[in-house]
Amino acid sequence: MLLAGGQGSRLGVLTSKVAKPAVSFGGKYRIIDFVLSNCANSGISTVGVLTQYRPYLLHEYLGTGEAWNLDERGGGVAILPPFATQTGASWYAGTADAITQNLGYLEGQDPEYVLILSGDQLYRMDYEDMLATHKANNADLTVAVMPVPWEDAPRFGIMNTREDGSIEEFVEKPAEPKSNLASMGIYIFNADVLIKTLKEDAEKEDSSHDFGGDIIPTLLAEGKRLYTYQFKAYWRDVGTVASFHEANMELLGEEPAFDLFAQDAPIMSNSSTRPPAFVGPKGSVDDSLIDNGCTILGSVEHSVISSDVFVGKGAIVKDSILFPGARVEENAVVINAIMAERATVKAGATFGSADEETVTLGDDAVVEKEA
Amino acid sequence: MPKAIGLVTCNYTTASKDDVFLDRPVASMPYLGRYRLVDFALSNMVDAGIRTVGMIMPNNYRSLVDHVGSGKDWDLDRKNGGLFIMPGTAFGTSRTGARFLIRDLVQNRAFFTKNNEKYVVLSTANFICSVDINALIAKHEETGANITVLTKKASCDGNVDVVTFDVENGRVKSMHQGVKFGEAAFLDYAVIERTLLLELLDSFAAVDHLDLFEALNSEYSRFRVMACEFDGYMKPIFDKASYFTANMDLLDTDVLAELTNARPIKTKAHDNPPAKYEPGCKVSNSLVASGDRIYGTVQGSILGRNVIVEPGASVRNSVIMQGVIVKSGAKIENAIIDKANVVPAGTELRGTDGDILYLKKN
Repeated sequence: MLLAGGQGSRLGVLTSKVAKPAVSFGGKYRIIDFVLSNCANSGISTVGVLTQYRPYLLHEYLGTGEAWNLDERGGGVAILPPFATQTGASWYAGTADAITQNLGYLEGQDPEYVLILSGDQLYRMDYEDMLATHKANNADLTVAVMPVPWEDAPRFGIMNTREDGSIEEFVEKPAEPKSNLASMGIYIFNADVLIKTLKEDAEKEDSSHDFGGDIIPTLLAEGKRLYTYQFKAYWRDVGTVASFHEANMELLGEEPAFDLFAQDAPIMSNSSTRPPAFVGPKGSVDDSLIDNGCTILGSVEHSVISSDVFVGKGAIVKDSILFPGARVEENAVVINAIMAERATVKAGATFGSADEETVTLGDDAVVEKEA
Repeated sequence: MPKAIGLVTCNYTTASKDDVFLDRPVASMPYLGRYRLVDFALSNMVDAGIRTVGMIMPNNYRSLVDHVGSGKDWDLDRKNGGLFIMPGTAFGTSRTGARFLIRDLVQNRAFFTKNNEKYVVLSTANFICSVDINALIAKHEETGANITVLTKKASCDGNVDVVTFDVENGRVKSMHQGVKFGEAAFLDYAVIERTLLLELLDSFAAVDHLDLFEALNSEYSRFRVMACEFDGYMKPIFDKASYFTANMDLLDTDVLAELTNARPIKTKAHDNPPAKYEPGCKVSNSLVASGDRIYGTVQGSILGRNVIVEPGASVRNSVIMQGVIVKSGAKIENAIIDKANVVPAGTELRGTDGDILYLKKN
């Protein structure tokens, strides 16, 4: 069950028209590609995707799930937006509530285990390995955790564990953390435990219907077997403009923090069939990712460029991220900026600077040259 | 949506002895870094709304079937109609001239009887052009022709494989093989009424070793075969030299835009990361496909998918097909490097402008 309904409000104009999981990333992907590819690469063939905020692009992009080999009979991708019943209709009020409202789907699939995922994180994980740990511990719930720097621990949901990896206590954003193991918001439940707990939680008036805040404490209080699964590889929750920018830049360089070219677990995407990128006679590209369909007549340095981007003659693009269809016209300068889909910086105009925070330009927005 | 079905013939070879075409059907020749030649014929038909397309296969069809699959990438995986993979006769491959071999059409007669659209749009696979097939059908209906063929006045003497029509006031009088300056070169796109095609197949049964338009040579006074002049970019690919120029022509952004923007060229989708340009690389005047990693120098070249150009290596005025690794310090100039070759460190592979070096696929 993949939670993909979030707005990602801290990404500002980047999510003004699309849900966060559908935001362009890494030159040809959308954020949700990473989790869907993990599912496909881990042999999971049934994925319910819970959507809510601005779902058009996300729904269109998911399609039948075929891009991730998830178009299977009797399984595959199911898109699960909020819906009405005889007793009325309501929005998803929390992570747990979103699953509760779709217990019908879940019970219809009749699984033994349920993996709960977020559609807005960047990482490569073999969920089969996590499930093996879950089974070996004979656990009711396994929470994926990763060690974070101690000074950052107060920003996360922290798991205090015993030596065998079992969970003693869960503390949301502790002022004085006793552990540095942060919850990644990735859970494996025994299906019967999940369904029973969600049904009971739904009846509680004082619950905020959240996995971290309500479900985990309830299970701990009931004395259920809760274990952690330690993950130590690359993982990013690109919540802010700064972290989104940084995560893109981490794809660059000769030894990138996250290697898109790793062969063992390819990141799949619903890609277009555009011609190869054209770098013009006077164009130059250095330390960048550039997708098909681009025309680069100017200079691109240390940037991530999605499909069908145009960079005009004499233009300079540096330390920036350009989404599909963005245009940087002749002699324009774009530095330390994120341009969303089809955004334009007009000829001779300047957008962003190296000395200030990363600036963002929304879908279809235009920056004119100052008079 | 036109009342037409499409037929793309792929069961032929070229007169050229260049080994560029030795190992594969012309139709599945990689082109422009990420396409195969047959993509143009299929995309032109699909763009016009045609959703029933037959492909007549050569005997070495593995790469072609691997490429087109179920037809999904061209929206040809339909419940009704869709893509039909049809056998060619073994005879066809040794016959260079006959691209619309009557024997191939007769063998697949059922394709023309079972689909009852009014027209059949015929095409081969090795002309690079973006054709508005609906305009061709409209012209066909406007002139009341029996058959309408797409032609273009040759700007220079051309290849022996190209078919040429002698045209008077728009009407075809005869055909011959090979093309000279100013003649009406056949672009291998034609519209014919389905029932007429079936009649012709019956009446030409005794001469089924001929090409359809060759067999018509004695009949051009009886049937109104009209030429429709094409005014866009067009390149027939029949040998190494024309293959090389057809790639290099696309470094002209106007030609690239004409061929890929108005009518998108659909092709098999691949999951490659974007191309990665490493610190210190030098790339100019080149087309670079996704999945590439460039550390060295690339100038005036076409790079296919998943190519690696290592540090200190250089690629100039060359076509590099998918999966090639150019090891550090290697230098490539005026060359076509076919799929999956590893060019060892420090080697130099140099052709000349007049004679492009070709390294066959690994």
